[in-house]
Amino acid sequence: MKQLITNYYIEAKTTEEKPICWITSGGPVEFLIAMGVIPVYPENHGAMCGASKIAVGLAEIAEGMGFSQDICSYARLDIGAATTGGGAIPGGLPKPDFLLCCNNICGTVVKWYEELSRIWDVPMFLFDTPFIHGSKPEHATEYVKQQCLELIEFLEEQTGKKWSEERFEEVALLSVEGVDLWKEVLTTAESRPSPFTCFDAFIHMAPIVTLRGTQEVVDYYKLLRDEMQDRVANGIGAVPDEKYRLIWDNIPIWYEMRNLGNLFAGNGACLVADTYTTAWAVDIRIEDPLTSMADAYTKVYLNISIDLMLEQLSALMERFSADGLVMHSNRSCKPYSLGQYDLARAVTERTGKPALIIEADMTDSRAYSEAQTRERVEAFIESLR
Amino acid sequence: MAGNALDRLMEMRADPYAWARSWKERTGGKVMGFFCCLAPEEMIHAAGALPVRITGENRDISEAAAHLQSYCCSLARSGLDMALDGTLSFLDGTVFLHTCDTMQRLSDIWRLNAGFAVHADFILPVRFESDSAWKYMTAELESFKEKMAESLGPIDDAAIGESIKIYNRNRALLAEIYDMRRKDPSVLPYDQALWISTSSALMEKKEHNALLEEIVADLKAHAGSAADARVPLFGVGSVMDQWDFLKMVEESGATFVDDDFCNGYRYFDAVAPEDRPPVEAIARRLWDRSSCPCKHTPSRNRGTCLADRAREAGAKGAVFFQFKFCEPHAFDYPHVKKAFDEAGIPSLNLEIEQGAVSIEQLRTRVDALVETIKA
Repeated sequence: MKQLITNYYIEAKTTEEKPICWITSGGPVEFLIAMGVIPVYPENHGAMCGASKIAVGLAEIAEGMGFSQDICSYARLDIGAATTGGGAIPGGLPKPDFLLCCNNICGTVVKWYEELSRIWDVPMFLFDTPFIHGSKPEHATEYVKQQCLELIEFLEEQTGKKWSEERFEEVALLSVEGVDLWKEVLTTAESRPSPFTCFDAFIHMAPIVTLRGTQEVVDYYKLLRDEMQDRVANGIGAVPDEKYRLIWDNIPIWYEMRNLGNLFAGNGACLVADTYTTAWAVDIRIEDPLTSMADAYTKVYLNISIDLMLEQLSALMERFSADGLVMHSNRSCKPYSLGQYDLARAVTERTGKPALIIEADMTDSRAYSEAQTRERVEAFIESLR
Repeated sequence: MAGNALDRLMEMRADPYAWARSWKERTGGKVMGFFCCLAPEEMIHAAGALPVRITGENRDISEAAAHLQSYCCSLARSGLDMALDGTLSFLDGTVFLHTCDTMQRLSDIWRLNAGFAVHADFILPVRFESDSAWKYMTAELESFKEKMAESLGPIDDAAIGESIKIYNRNRALLAEIYDMRRKDPSVLPYDQALWISTSSALMEKKEHNALLEEIVADLKAHAGSAADARVPLFGVGSVMDQWDFLKMVEESGATFVDDDFCNGYRYFDAVAPEDRPPVEAIARRLWDRSSCPCKHTPSRNRGTCLADRAREAGAKGAVFFQFKFCEPHAFDYPHVKKAFDEAGIPSLNLEIEQGAVSIEQLRTRVDALVETIKA
């Protein structure tokens, strides 16, 4: 896995002929792969900076430029890194030739990418996926489908290459295969004890997010699935003496992953699934890739209403036989976090299982209290007894 | 100075929803709340209902704290609090527009907790350029019309056409007041001009028009006489509802000569083309109106557009007035500020939360800006 991601960044940094496109984590990367474009994910880089605890320093650079400390910390640290060449990749992320922003995860990315477009002086394509409060109207599907065609035109213009339907189908097939394998990996956590925790999934999700639609991803997840299935067959659990099974909601607290992992495991609690890594399990129907992609990219977890989230969250609780829910109230992410108070109550009402809400930020550790979190987690697990 | 009509409007400021409550009592009609100025009000008006804008208020949050985190903007928090504690009980329903992430989630939380009979989402595109976005927008507006007709009663095109005319007249009159103030700010204190525009979204438009006609006539009779020595400022932000702050600015020897607030200039900017079919006309106005940071319009640079407007209005300084935790405006601030810098217009950035505004602290900063400009 480390090799896979290292190779990917080495290629992105050294390529001379392949164009680079910065893309949001929920974006339709299959189009880029099919056109031979290298996708680069500022959010993935943000997670790396968070995990390696260099996020605050980078965010402060953006704050010095006038960006409020209250805006998304991924955006702040990325703007800080982009303008100084800093970050977790030596010399900074490779410069983009153009940008692909999909707002199915938040409206924040639109503002963030507009700023990137100014910083790098490169064009930006906004892939606009109308939010779903109840049912999705036909004209919304049509709008997104039309944008798939506009995106193809945009990519032809940017790369000077012709679009190949054949190549796209190959990529779509590989994407489906990769996604299916990733789902199989996640499914192994239904077993008791679970062979991995969501903290492992947060690490192993990088390829499905970034390189969906490539053979490397398929190969990688085949290996991972086999390994997890082996563990299940041999009754090997990720948490020794797994007593409680919990679901995680929201983006990880990247700088605190190890501590939190130890804290839960030390108390016999295994976080068996989460709403974050399942977000990349989008369904593409190969008979009609464009329509099904338009549909799948619009229906992602963060682009649906609280009631629809409740259905998915409750189903997740049931499917993984969870004893409780842990929600990260993430200062940086409003679409993920606003509504959690209502969701927590509704999940408890629906499933009878308790919920814990931790106040933090995904990469900005200045908004986080370790002692308070430890106390609350321990009390929560105590209450499960 | 303008007489009775202005006094009547100014009285409303102490209790902004009194007019809507008494209208409902008087007529038995339905009142529809909305947050964002991109709301297709004409459609609601054409159904015989009263569209009323909710912009939160200065208050300590109580019930809303169980639903919205403290890192959510005060506009959403205080608005929800008003819905939960009965302050907005005169509403029959609410319309939410797709603007920012907070409003999008507030719509769900509101629908699940506030208990109004009608709830509608108008999911605007975020791209405000391209044919596909335009097609989507008009289709969404058609479906919004159906939703409103189901909840409020039949809406025919002739009625929408009539409402469009009434709304366009309102926009023209508000624009005239702003025009007069650009030429001679002394005709009317800015806080009153902004309140006149704000109150337009709190009253039935025909009645508001009648008051505006009177106010405009009165102002015209007095316009252009005095030389105004105050420092002319330009205001940037979303909703500006801090009237004490605006009065304080005038005490500091300055006045706003124009703004981009969405209860100010952006509320009345652009008219719906009356020669087009009504749904298309409403969509066209929303599309052509000056840009909001929640909408993606790459061919229009918001920074230079605003700096140009400030210069044309003769502003010598600018005040960014932002709600804390408002991402769309906070993201735009550095590049818009840069455009003002490049235009030689010094500016001040004020981040506030409704209910937690310290006029004295702000006074020091406003005084400093005014001194810089004078020097």
